[in-house]
Amino acid sequence: MQVWYHCENVYPFVPQDILDRAESVRASLPNKYCDPKISADLFEECLDEHLLCDDLGVNVVSIEHHSGINSLYGASPMILGILARQTKKVRILSLGTLITIRPDPVRVAEEYATADVISRGRLEIGFVKSGDSEMVSGNANPVGYVERFWEAIDLIQKTLTSHEGPFSWEGKYYTHRHVNVWPPVYQRPHPPMWAATGDPETSAELGRRGMINALVLRGPEASKRAFDAYRAARREAGLSAPGTDRFAYAALCYVGDTDEEGLQVGSKLLWFLNTSLKQSLQMSKFLPGRTPPEFAAQNYRSQPRPGSETNIRPGQSLIGINAEQAIARGILCAGNPDTVYRQIMDIYDKVGGFAHFIFIGRSGFLDHQEAEKGIRLMAKEVLPRLPAATPTPEIRAAQAAE
Amino acid sequence: MAESERLLVNGIELDVVRRGTGRAILLLHGFQTIDPNAPFLDLLSRHGEVIAPSSPGFGNSPRPTDFDTVYDLVHLYLEVLEMLPGDNVTLVGFSFGGWLAAEVAVACRHRLDKLVLVDPLGIKISDRETPDILDIFNRSPDVVRRSSWHDPDRFAPNFDEMSDEALVVYARNREALCLYAWHPYMYNPQLPRWLARITVPALVLWGASDRVVTPDYGRAYSRLIPGSRFELIDDAGHHPEVEQPEAFAERVAPFLNQ
Repeated sequence: MQVWYHCENVYPFVPQDILDRAESVRASLPNKYCDPKISADLFEECLDEHLLCDDLGVNVVSIEHHSGINSLYGASPMILGILARQTKKVRILSLGTLITIRPDPVRVAEEYATADVISRGRLEIGFVKSGDSEMVSGNANPVGYVERFWEAIDLIQKTLTSHEGPFSWEGKYYTHRHVNVWPPVYQRPHPPMWAATGDPETSAELGRRGMINALVLRGPEASKRAFDAYRAARREAGLSAPGTDRFAYAALCYVGDTDEEGLQVGSKLLWFLNTSLKQSLQMSKFLPGRTPPEFAAQNYRSQPRPGSETNIRPGQSLIGINAEQAIARGILCAGNPDTVYRQIMDIYDKVGGFAHFIFIGRSGFLDHQEAEKGIRLMAKEVLPRLPAATPTPEIRAAQAAE
Repeated sequence: MAESERLLVNGIELDVVRRGTGRAILLLHGFQTIDPNAPFLDLLSRHGEVIAPSSPGFGNSPRPTDFDTVYDLVHLYLEVLEMLPGDNVTLVGFSFGGWLAAEVAVACRHRLDKLVLVDPLGIKISDRETPDILDIFNRSPDVVRRSSWHDPDRFAPNFDEMSDEALVVYARNREALCLYAWHPYMYNPQLPRWLARITVPALVLWGASDRVVTPDYGRAYSRLIPGSRFELIDDAGHHPEVEQPEAFAERVAPFLNQ
């Protein structure tokens, strides 16, 4: 199994009373509450954690979120550029650039290709649909974003695999008449592609495309539904059954020397759910395009009527969760190495296996020293015991042919 | 006559409310579709046949795939003008529908006899750092509510009391509006240049308490339409036809009949 370290580089230092008064901790919280000197320290610490991962054989994840306390990584390709040069061995996953809010996917493809070259072929490219406050801060129309997501992926894939001179793209959402990026990608035909999603329709499309399906903080039940949709879509399309190498599971995770330490430090990760998800109504449930109008009865009333259709977003149901609940729901793995190993394998069995475990190992007030200790214990005491990946047949054949 | 019926325009199906008889008075709705029970409909129908379609994606009108721009809506209503019986049509546009009505009036002189714009959107007046039109998607629902109505407690929609069907239509209207008008937000940068093409008599009405778009924006709008008259309606916000239906009809009636 591949283990991936994921740190969102959060900014937890805004006083709680200001957060309580703010309508949203994303998109509209003034940046005067973010001290650039503290931010510089945080970047240094988080990037150092990624270098420690490189020494220990733990892969690293770059992300982006916008305009809020939940992440200072505003541009995944920029972080990739640093990781591509500063790490030497491990794989680097972008999970990902918020492609639905970028006006020009060709530019993103160019940045990815550059990072792949700098890293000499260690890049993996993940896509996330984004939504909510990021549509607002990204000035992107929230209506139609799913369709835009797929066209952006198509255009990026075409850009990364075209080597014979300019091609033209006149799609529904993007037009670019002269596409010919330099340098081209290092890996051929292109770096592995991922997407983080939870809805079965998207997972089914990922299955047909053979992309890696990552489930982030969704728990085993929702993850299994998504993975099953992935498998079924491939079966129905006459494609080979996927190995575990197509599936990734992401959870908050902290490994301590003892169960007490693991739980005590790991509980700090819940800040991400309990503090950083607060969004205003207009940037969440009232934002058009986010949920179908058919769910309006449940969305708009102050108290949903019994029997009305429900469609609570996954994040909403996690706010206020405690450590025991989070562990029971497969959102958090925390304890000593044996405990964390058992928790991961329990989820592994429930969802039918995965070859990638993404551990969100730093968030909230969990500090740099604690994060590095968790990374070391994960790398030395847990990772070696996790099962090997099973490859997807046609992907293995394609790799052998290269 | 049925509460609502269907109008087929170039293969596009529109849900339409019709009321009254006589000259055609075509209403283009704003953020929300027109309530068939709205008192102003009956008041207007004393002066002609009121025809109020729901634009594709709004109300119960389906939206064809790839029908997703203001350009589509303008051409749709140009086609509706050609289809309506009689010599000439009076066009009344509210808010977002006021933008469409202005675009239609710029493009079509021969089928219109009069134009009424009620708190219309569609142009940019102020400098680049001053938004003219309240961002009803990005601002808090409370701010939008207070800015939209003179008396929000009496007139703003009460989601807890609305039926499931009404809430679905409300959300559907917001989604369609967002699709058409997200960017540039609720205006066409080119429109001010062409408003001078409007040659039919035009009346620009404005709710005095409108803070979605202020009366000053309305005065500037009116100045760009040659010969147009600007009038305020007191004790009304962005929807004077809803908050002050009598005052609204009293302004429109003499204009229609002059």
